[in-house]
Amino acid sequence: MTPARRSILALVALVLAVGATATWAQDFGRRRRAADISPQNIPYDGRFTFVRLRHGGAALGRGEPPWAHDYPRAERNFSRILEELTLIKPHLQDSNVFTLDDPELFAYPLAYMSEPGFWQMNEAELAGLQQYMSKGGFLIFDDFRGEHWSNFAEQVRRIIPNGQLVQLEASHPVFHSFFDINIAETQGYYGPASFHGVFEDNDPAKRLMLVANYNHDLGELWEFSDTGFVPVDLSNDAYKYGVNYVVYAMTH
Amino acid sequence: MLDSLFQLLFEYRPVVFSQGELRFAAWTGSYVAALVALAAIVAAVATYRTSGARTRTRDRVILTTLRVALIALVALCLFRPVLVVKAAVPQQNVLAVLLDDSRSMQIADHENGPRSAYVRQEFGAADRGLLKALSDKFMVRTFRFSSAASRLDAEDDMTFAGAQTRLGAALEGARQELAGLPLAGLVVVSDGADTAADSLGSSLLALKSQGVPVFTVGVGQETLARDIQIGRVSTPRIALKGTTLMIDVIINQTGFAGQDITLDVEDEGRIVGSQAVKLPSDGSAATARVRFSVSDSGPRVFKFRVAPQPGELVAENNTREAMVDVRDRREKILYFEGEPRFEMKFIRRAVQEDPNLQLVVLQRTADNKYLRLAVDGPDDLVAGFPRTREELFAYRGLILGSIEAGAFTGDQLRMIAEFVDRRGGGLLMLGGARSFSEGGYAGTAVSEVLPVTLDASAREPQLARLTVRPTRAGAAQGVTQIAATESASAQKWTQLAALSPSVTTLNRTDGIKPGATVLLTGTDETRRERPVLAFQRYGRGKAFAFTLQDSLLWQMHASIAVEDLTHEYFWRQLMRWLVDGVPDAVEPQSLTDRVEPGEPITLRAHVVDSDFVELNDATVIAHVGRPDGSIADIPMQWSGERSGEYFATVPSAVAGSYEARIDAARGGKIVGSTVAHVRAAPGDAEFFDATMHAATLRRIADQTGGKFYAANATHGLAEDLRYTGHGVTTVEERDLWHLPIVFLLMVGLLCAEWAYRRKVGLS
Repeated sequence: MTPARRSILALVALVLAVGATATWAQDFGRRRRAADISPQNIPYDGRFTFVRLRHGGAALGRGEPPWAHDYPRAERNFSRILEELTLIKPHLQDSNVFTLDDPELFAYPLAYMSEPGFWQMNEAELAGLQQYMSKGGFLIFDDFRGEHWSNFAEQVRRIIPNGQLVQLEASHPVFHSFFDINIAETQGYYGPASFHGVFEDNDPAKRLMLVANYNHDLGELWEFSDTGFVPVDLSNDAYKYGVNYVVYAMTH
Repeated sequence: MLDSLFQLLFEYRPVVFSQGELRFAAWTGSYVAALVALAAIVAAVATYRTSGARTRTRDRVILTTLRVALIALVALCLFRPVLVVKAAVPQQNVLAVLLDDSRSMQIADHENGPRSAYVRQEFGAADRGLLKALSDKFMVRTFRFSSAASRLDAEDDMTFAGAQTRLGAALEGARQELAGLPLAGLVVVSDGADTAADSLGSSLLALKSQGVPVFTVGVGQETLARDIQIGRVSTPRIALKGTTLMIDVIINQTGFAGQDITLDVEDEGRIVGSQAVKLPSDGSAATARVRFSVSDSGPRVFKFRVAPQPGELVAENNTREAMVDVRDRREKILYFEGEPRFEMKFIRRAVQEDPNLQLVVLQRTADNKYLRLAVDGPDDLVAGFPRTREELFAYRGLILGSIEAGAFTGDQLRMIAEFVDRRGGGLLMLGGARSFSEGGYAGTAVSEVLPVTLDASAREPQLARLTVRPTRAGAAQGVTQIAATESASAQKWTQLAALSPSVTTLNRTDGIKPGATVLLTGTDETRRERPVLAFQRYGRGKAFAFTLQDSLLWQMHASIAVEDLTHEYFWRQLMRWLVDGVPDAVEPQSLTDRVEPGEPITLRAHVVDSDFVELNDATVIAHVGRPDGSIADIPMQWSGERSGEYFATVPSAVAGSYEARIDAARGGKIVGSTVAHVRAAPGDAEFFDATMHAATLRRIADQTGGKFYAANATHGLAEDLRYTGHGVTTVEERDLWHLPIVFLLMVGLLCAEWAYRRKVGLS
């Protein structure tokens, strides 16, 4: 990453922080209940639209279902960064939420899942996600740690029975599709972060079908990047990963 | 029939009248008779004038005229009119008889027997048939001919196995061989099915200038009663391995109207494509479109075949061969995408398993930031889009994604136009927020190349949801064949048209250039038609416009099965078409893929430098591999007619396949090389359009002063030949007074007068 680009990124984060402090003040400290989350999806128009997967995990004690953590401020902030840094023209205020078996999901080849530690699937959802990934869909799994891994790995095995979850090497193109990211320098949100994925036909030369940020929470860092309550460097790194994932998904 | 009637009335052949000069051989008695006739006329006039009381004036005039005409006719005969003609002196003149010895003479359409039977019967021996009639009057020299004329020494020399009919060469050969002899004329006995590429004109001109008439005898029928013929097959000369071809085949037929037949395509004995065809009314041609894939590389001879039907006269013309040079190599296409978007990923995925396509991607991700994919080396495209023609022209196809015109310099835009026009490459512009009018291309050099018209005022992208279907022209192209069969493709397009959400476009490209063809069209929400895929040829290359921004839905949509290959089929076919026929620096340009064994092979090649500017000073060598395994290095010469065109002639002594590797170099530096294939093999051209071509034979006769005869009406031929006026001739006088027609005229006038007199009451 060039110094100039680093500066731009920092500046953007700063602008976002100042401009949105009031909004944050209303939300921070009180999690929304599930009943408050009523996503308003927008019709397909070919533009990049951030898609969040709604999975059937139970609501936590805070009242918010796991799939909705950081919704919708995380995607809104990330979409603005995406527009600022790249030539992608995403929807800025709008995003979509689909269940795993929603036919409309297929029009959006990239989807994000939060809290896969609580991810459960019925047969229809399993079939839907299998088709989605076989056709070329790309998934980002975020915001999980510790014992969440076992559930995540189990669900991935259900989708791709022969797929092998492998830890990604620093040289993998997904870390260099836009920014050159040194994953060794990345500080995880919940501890040492690691990045995992499954390759098509388990061949590292082929397409990466999913990426999982273990011990990390990009969504949280995106959501609060404009508050000043998370370190700018951490937010910047989170945005870099997000941008790289999107560019990789659009090119591989 | 008419000839016989003429001869009955006039006694002589028509040629005597056309060649002869009318004179009167009067003697003293003729003048006395004239005075008597005059007196008789005066008397007749006076007699009819005095009968005025009983007849009307009109009756008297008619009767007087009839009587005067009769007296005048008698007086004319007494002046002894004669025709003075120059007649060939018997056995003093040479007559050349040229007998068609080609394979088409085997066709059995002359009185239920082969055409050759007529030739053997009439010309097989000097003591029978027409040859005897001719031999009685001339010194006959007999030739047989197919590709050239040669003297016929014995009847058995006629084999009727010649693979060609070259009438012009045969006439010229006979004329030259008999030069200096008193030649009365030439007689050509043939079906007239000339298979020569060159015209008859020059041969006929030489004969005409020497006054040598050609008498032609047409053997066979002008229409075959029952026949099916593969009339025309248009195949590409070169195809990329794995490409699906859609070939139009013209089927001519008579006698099989309404019948269902099957057109098969065979590759080395293996059927690779079939198409059912219902034949139209007699004499009308059917156009069949057959689809097949070229799966094996190398020079492949494809046979387009309709199984012979019961009662067909000619089975050989049911099969037509075409050689396609199937190349197994990776064609390089540069895809420049101006913004990250999923469309690029899915296009790339669609063709990445295709071993014959290399899609090099230059992806702009941010201003002045690029991602390069599938490049050959670390330095390729490192500075972005090519800045030199040499760098750009190394690709055979160019795809411009959602990239605005402002991303290029003026010279780069001109380079892109020249990529199509001069280099002969294929250009494809994709729909997107930054392409077409919305990308500012109106008025640029690139807009000239595109098949759609651009509107300079349309700069803001507008979303339209489209229902896409192939046009009539599009259905005929391989690119719309998105399933294993033609009917499956049609069903698949119906399925795609029903997708929801539907595919979209951001571009208003409603205008189509003259000469461009719309292959896919879309209907938007307002029921307006918009071009989705259009193409046109431009200069040496071609350009496509594909206006959708999200064909990925043809892959990703929930209703499309995972194993569905629609999207892959479409993009592979489109990209293969994009690079189809794109020339190399050295490009073979042979006119034909087959010659007759023994005929010379003419190799032609077009040579350009890396900027695709023609070279006239290159060293071009053809390394010709012969069927026996030997190799000959033959220098190729610049033709001097067209820039960059070189040629060489290679003898084809042995039948088989000849492979010519053509290398071009200039100043010690290799320019390029290519491979051309030519077969030396007997062809079936003789059996195509194998009816008797009376028009050709009549033209030969008319232009040289001869006459055309049908084979069953040659009884006057020998007599007609006597009066050509060419060769050693004598002057003959032919009296006309005793012609049956004169007698009939006299009797007729007498009877007419008598009948009229009865009518008016004078007798």
